[in-house]
Amino acid sequence: MIRPAPESRWTPVINAVLLPAVLVIAWQIWAVTLPADTRAPAPVGVVAAFFHLAGSGGLFSATLQSLGRVLLGFAFAVVFGVGLGLLMGSSRSVKDNLDPIIESFRPIAPMAVLPIAILLLGTGTPAALSIVAYAAFFPLLINTVHGVSRVDRKLVQAAMTMGVPRPRILATVILPAALPSIMLGARVAMGVAWTAIIAAELAVGAKSGGGTSGGIGQMMFVFYAYSIDLNGIVVCMIVIGVVALLIDRFFRATERWLMPWRY
Amino acid sequence: MATTNRAPKLKLSNVSKEFTAPGTGQRTVAVADVSLEIQSGEFICVVGPSGCGKSTVLNMVAGLAEPSSGTIEKDGVPITGPGADRGVMFQDYALFPWLNVRDNIGFGLRHGTPGKELSRSTREERVGHYIELVGLAGSENKYPHQLSGGMRQRVALARLLANGPDILLLDEPLGALDAQTRLILQVELLRIWGETAPAEQRKTAIFITHDIEETVFLADRVVVMSTHPGRVKAVLPVDLPRPREETIRAEPRFGHLAEEIWGLIRDEAYRAIA
Ligand SMILES: Nc1ncnc2c1ncn2[C@@H]1O[C@H](COP(=O)(O)OP(=O)(O)O)[C@@H](O)[C@H]1O
Ligand SMILES: [Mg+2]
Repeated sequence: MIRPAPESRWTPVINAVLLPAVLVIAWQIWAVTLPADTRAPAPVGVVAAFFHLAGSGGLFSATLQSLGRVLLGFAFAVVFGVGLGLLMGSSRSVKDNLDPIIESFRPIAPMAVLPIAILLLGTGTPAALSIVAYAAFFPLLINTVHGVSRVDRKLVQAAMTMGVPRPRILATVILPAALPSIMLGARVAMGVAWTAIIAAELAVGAKSGGGTSGGIGQMMFVFYAYSIDLNGIVVCMIVIGVVALLIDRFFRATERWLMPWRY
Repeated sequence: MATTNRAPKLKLSNVSKEFTAPGTGQRTVAVADVSLEIQSGEFICVVGPSGCGKSTVLNMVAGLAEPSSGTIEKDGVPITGPGADRGVMFQDYALFPWLNVRDNIGFGLRHGTPGKELSRSTREERVGHYIELVGLAGSENKYPHQLSGGMRQRVALARLLANGPDILLLDEPLGALDAQTRLILQVELLRIWGETAPAEQRKTAIFITHDIEETVFLADRVVVMSTHPGRVKAVLPVDLPRPREETIRAEPRFGHLAEEIWGLIRDEAYRAIA
């Protein structure tokens, strides 16, 4: 009888790493065949650029600056999105009044708001921040409204028969009951916010002549428009991806911590 | 109880409730012309086939739904909304999924009117007492989804009792329990209601069930409802002495009363499964 080889605990890791490793090696081999003065990025060049950028501290501070803007913009969006969502979800008349406004702004992509933001707020942090907040606001609001509308009425009624005042029911029943939906909205919002900051910094960088705005998006813009360093651009791309991944992991962990009853 | 010179604790006068389906506009008469006077300290059981409006009546007394016509008064004052004076144990428990057993039971004490004047330690003590009472010690930190149906029901019962309401509204509160636990909690419930206390210190209870023997064991009076539309078909006084012991179930009078109630709902019960 033929037995399958026993699975080592490294097997999944090896499986996961194998194909990327092959692709990177193939990429490097291809890059070596190119003429010496090419601008095409290659793995070795990317690694060199990474150590150069990381060593100078510039990569780290740019990432941190972008992340800071995202967190601040996201925080604004949480306050307004969840706050308004709770109000709209629990009051018919608030919802009826706000729905038309919200539905008419929702299809306007964050990038489409950017020109106005730059003209009004300049090329610094406020413009970037407002774009992030705008982008993150809608997923938070919509998921909060949805979550509140699906709260089991019996739970609210139970609290009412215990003499819990209305505002307190909002905080002690409706908010926790809608939390899974709100957290879903937060995760989507965070993803959108991180995309928006890069785009905003790219655009702001263009407007400010690559100068003062900072952030990883602007760093990318400088590589693109001034030094034409494709290896540097790839480093930025990878960092942006890794940060997005870390943010998502952080959110999953937060969900477990905030909603232990679901696990 | 037979105190006729007092205003009744609860008075339902010609109460009807009609539901209109949102889409079709089709109307269902859930409750039709129910009149009932319940004295302070009375233990009332309500039986009737499923869909006869028992839960709807309870909801209206709780103040969670308004009668389409007729009035409901408590101590001579019309009921305008829910309040902690009328505690409800819902048929589907309505436990908060994000709170563990302890916090579910302590919810009203912590956030509602019942715990307003109590210190934290008094509240915790009271929660602990009811956890013991319903036999949930050791499960305090579990979440509702980790509990069996019977355990959830006991959490809901403990939560209701911990709030110390003056009127107990119980919607099939022991239905999910196994037979033994059920018998134990019936006796316990009578004790909490105040069976051994003087009549004027008793709470007022409305207890919905579909178990005929349960009604005879618990009730001062049994309200038998019939369906389509939901009406009161008969009100039977249960003239068994209190405090009631387990042995009372073996007495001839107990059997006669159970048979009498069965006689009132038999036709509809058969029709329901025909
Ligand atoms: N919110 C509601 N909307 C429409 N119909 C309802 C609603 N609640 C109850 N009903 C209807 O009213 C009738 C009585 O329901 P219910 O009071 O739950 O009966 P029971 O508790 O005796 O089983 C049923 O026909 C049910 O379908
Ligand atoms: Mg019912």
